[in-house]
Amino acid sequence: MLKGIWGSDWFGLFVVALVAGTGLALFQPAFLSPFNLYVLLISFSLWALVAMAQMVIIAIGQMNLSVGAIGGLVAISFAGSMEVWGLPVPAAILLGLAIAALCGLLNGVMTHVTGISAFVITLATLSIFKGLNIGITEAQPFYGVPDVVKAFGNARFEGLPHMLIVPVVAIILIWLLFNRMVLGRQMLALGANRHAAELSGIRVGRVVVIAHVISAVLAAMAGMLAVARLQLGQPTIGDDWLILSFAAPVIGGAVLAGGHISVIGTCLGVVIVTLINNALVLLGIDPFFVQLFLGGLILIAVGLNRWRERRLAPA
Amino acid sequence: MRVARMLPLAVLAAGIAGPAMASDTKVALVPGGPHPYFAAWENAAAAAAADFGIEAEYRVPAAWELSKQNEMIESLVAQGFNAFLVFPGDANGTNATLEELAAFDIPSAALAGCTVDPTAASFCLGTDVARSAYLGTKELIEAMGGSGRIAHFTGFLVDPNTQLRIEAVEQAVAEAGGGVEIIQVIADIDAPEPADEKINAFLAARGSEVDGIVTTAWVPSVVAATSLRNLGDKRIRMVGIDHDEVVLSAIEDGFVDGTMLQNPYGQGYIGSYAMDLIRQGCTMKEDAPWQQTAQTAHFIDSGTAFVDADQVKDYQAAMVAVTDEIMATFKDDFLVCN
Repeated sequence: MLKGIWGSDWFGLFVVALVAGTGLALFQPAFLSPFNLYVLLISFSLWALVAMAQMVIIAIGQMNLSVGAIGGLVAISFAGSMEVWGLPVPAAILLGLAIAALCGLLNGVMTHVTGISAFVITLATLSIFKGLNIGITEAQPFYGVPDVVKAFGNARFEGLPHMLIVPVVAIILIWLLFNRMVLGRQMLALGANRHAAELSGIRVGRVVVIAHVISAVLAAMAGMLAVARLQLGQPTIGDDWLILSFAAPVIGGAVLAGGHISVIGTCLGVVIVTLINNALVLLGIDPFFVQLFLGGLILIAVGLNRWRERRLAPA
Repeated sequence: MRVARMLPLAVLAAGIAGPAMASDTKVALVPGGPHPYFAAWENAAAAAAADFGIEAEYRVPAAWELSKQNEMIESLVAQGFNAFLVFPGDANGTNATLEELAAFDIPSAALAGCTVDPTAASFCLGTDVARSAYLGTKELIEAMGGSGRIAHFTGFLVDPNTQLRIEAVEQAVAEAGGGVEIIQVIADIDAPEPADEKINAFLAARGSEVDGIVTTAWVPSVVAATSLRNLGDKRIRMVGIDHDEVVLSAIEDGFVDGTMLQNPYGQGYIGSYAMDLIRQGCTMKEDAPWQQTAQTAHFIDSGTAFVDADQVKDYQAAMVAVTDEIMATFKDDFLVCN
């Protein structure tokens, strides 16, 4: 088993995250304070869902540029439906998930039926979803978020945020999808070689549409968590997700051309980016150099993992 | 290329532009993109339309992209708008569009943010961001009792105003005489999720070291106010910026000491008034009391005011007073009308 873990494509990232965490704890004792760990887990909760939403699409060899726009649209729909229509929270959650499913369905069907690259389709739908968001909100936040939602965004048990439940369940389900279910295997097969997948009888259209729906639902969960955390339906939720949605899966070893992803690797990618962001604040890095450090540290993390993989690869 | 694309509009523009009767002025107020700060422009446009007998409308580009803003302006020209108040999508890039408008005798001005000289904008009417940040920091230092350690949370680093704000906060701290220290500046947190992540990481690591927070951008103000409320922390003093409900409510409840109001309503209202006068043949006065900024020599301060718990319930009155004060002398101070 240990040999299996050592040989896994995420082990190097695990070591990088461990070393980074240990180093931070040594240089900045506040890193291990319960509140900082709570803050880290809150960030992980949101970013893990965002990264998973993109990873599912990378698995089939496509890209989803509308992840943030879907998350934002669901966020304002979730908050707005509770404020304007007085919907109870469960109904608002269902509405949010339904909207996401529709968005994903649109992305998937358009991509498959037209044969146009998902990059182009989701670039267009990004604009549509964001346009709907702005049309509905007129750039004004929805403030009437019920107390129970706000409380969920801040509640913790023994230092663990309640919000963490959502990504943990989602990660387990996504892991099962790609490691134990036929559909997940079909997604990877499609990503690896579309022609071969078609010849082997995989219903490509169905797989593409389902992947986009799953991606959108994950983005929706992230959007609703953001509302709970921020305590308002801010129209700009999701605007900043795109880079991280690609960075974490790629750091985690995903092949952008499709066919190979790592759920654990993606989670570790999120951990590393979150740690780096946290470190830049904790160490008081000059704001004008934050982006430079962030990019450099991500490159180092990816480089170390790839170096280890090459060392392990048979000659 | 862009001029060529505008040519089909020239015929239409020729029909709607140039000196005209007051009633045919049709002003478009165009922000750089969607943002709650600009919502007051809509009310300002409606009030200006009612008070000055003009048409005035607030139109928002779908995203914060210069190209989208330019396309919207071109479309609005086609729809008959003959005066423009624009938040520059880019301090340099917007100049090309304003020059095209000027070529069709369509006046324009920069609102809430300036274009870089030389510019076709008749003037730039906006907040003196450095003064606002300076005064806000002064208020914070006073709330802290004249000494302590402060953190500054601000917006996009690519926004030239951010550097001005950072310097203004530093100046106010320097003037405090050594008792005040800036322990951290966190920037580029204009999106809510990174703001939440970084502000809370800061509070986790250095919350016990910091005595005051000054914020000079909308989103960091909202997120910092929410974080202090969540922590239940009234020891850390805070002065924010703008008038988001979250910030105003935190002031009422004692989690935030006050906020530096800007005057978006006054910008829209006074700007529309000025556009109508220019359309009637008035020209900008060269020896007007212009303020010089890093971007333009034709800056007009739209005013700023500190609002604390005593004034928060009626915070709009503070800005109406500032607007009235500017309006009282605006025509005489800045325009030459025959």
